[in-house]
Amino acid sequence: MKAVRVVPHDIEVWARPGESVVDALRRYGWRSPYKCRRGGCGACRAQLRAGELLYPRAVADSVLSATEQAAGACLPCRAVPLTDVVIDLGSQPLRAVLASSAPHKNPDPAEQEGP
Amino acid sequence: MAVIRLGYVHVRVTDLAEARQHYEQTLGMDTVHEENGRTYLKSWDDDDHHSVVLEEGGVGLVKFGYKVTDDGTLETIESKVSSFGASCERMSKGDNAGVGDGLRITLPSEHVLELYSEVERLGTKVGKLNPDPWPRDLRGIGVPRINHALVTTEDPALLERFFRDVLSFRPAERLVAGDEDSDLVGSWMYCGDQPHDIAFVKGANGKLHHFAYEIDDWSALLRAGDIMSMDDVPIDFGPARHGITRGGTIYFFDPSGNRNEVFAGGYRTGPDFRPITWTMDQAARGINYTHREIDQDFLRVVT
Ligand code: FES
Repeated sequence: MKAVRVVPHDIEVWARPGESVVDALRRYGWRSPYKCRRGGCGACRAQLRAGELLYPRAVADSVLSATEQAAGACLPCRAVPLTDVVIDLGSQPLRAVLASSAPHKNPDPAEQEGP
Repeated sequence: MAVIRLGYVHVRVTDLAEARQHYEQTLGMDTVHEENGRTYLKSWDDDDHHSVVLEEGGVGLVKFGYKVTDDGTLETIESKVSSFGASCERMSKGDNAGVGDGLRITLPSEHVLELYSEVERLGTKVGKLNPDPWPRDLRGIGVPRINHALVTTEDPALLERFFRDVLSFRPAERLVAGDEDSDLVGSWMYCGDQPHDIAFVKGANGKLHHFAYEIDDWSALLRAGDIMSMDDVPIDFGPARHGITRGGTIYFFDPSGNRNEVFAGGYRTGPDFRPITWTMDQAARGINYTHREIDQDFLRVVT
């Protein structure tokens, strides 16, 4: 688990392996600004102040270019923390929500362990 | 001469495999053709070759196509485009799989609009002889057909004039910030008797706000929402009713962040329909009549 600190709100949550910043925040009951949650709209755009992020899924250059990324811009809906990170949301609000993330489907009975 | 309806939307997606999963399994469209990294899909009640094209790399709209009657409409429109002062070129059979010769217009909003009358017919899934009301083997939502698109433009008044003068569309509903032409914020325009076949709101040129599928009714909307939850599709808002068009809606996002809509109902228009006006203080009610509140980002977020 990697620590995700959000400033200036000063909130800290823990991201599971492979979990995006937005999904980790949602799991702890925080709704940061986002729309598509799929890296396409740029609504979640924020600044990375410390640490390293990985984009396991392709993000369009028109939404986040390599130059912008080098200057610290990030897309929290697709960015997965590689290390502990500090994300700056600027003047954008963080709201308390009760969000349910992607469901755990009923496991395939064939894959279930025997008694 | 007439434009009949929205025929196809061609969008970019960041990951073709994920996009296909969404459009085929969640929405229920069928892939009919693949070539040059493009996937062509149709819905079960689309008669023509395809209604959505997915192309890998980036997000947003590549172009969209409207079908026209084959009684000289293309020639008439070609001359109207040049007298309007916009640019267009001939499009050739095969530029789009299954689609014949046509016109490719660059709109004043920088979107690429294609017009064609000839297109290969693959047929609806229920056929044209004593058909069932719907096919038994639908997947996911099972969207029947494409319905409209909403795009953004720096100059809504200019684009409205283009659609009226060149393509003979009429506005059904207009969102205005004042009495001047330049105060037009959005326009919902039709070519047949729907409340809209194209709509646009003020924003960046060349961008896509959403494209929509028509579904039966309110209970089909709710069922669509169930499928979206099962497949963890991000919802923008809905189910809700629009004030503008009176349609029922859910807005949601594809796996690349392009916005889709399922749309049900809405009234009929026609050549004698007098446009409805919405003022900016009532814009939230116009867009989401049920909740009377929309996210500030709703109109700004585009691909
Ligand atoms: S929410 Fe759309 S890009 Fe992150």
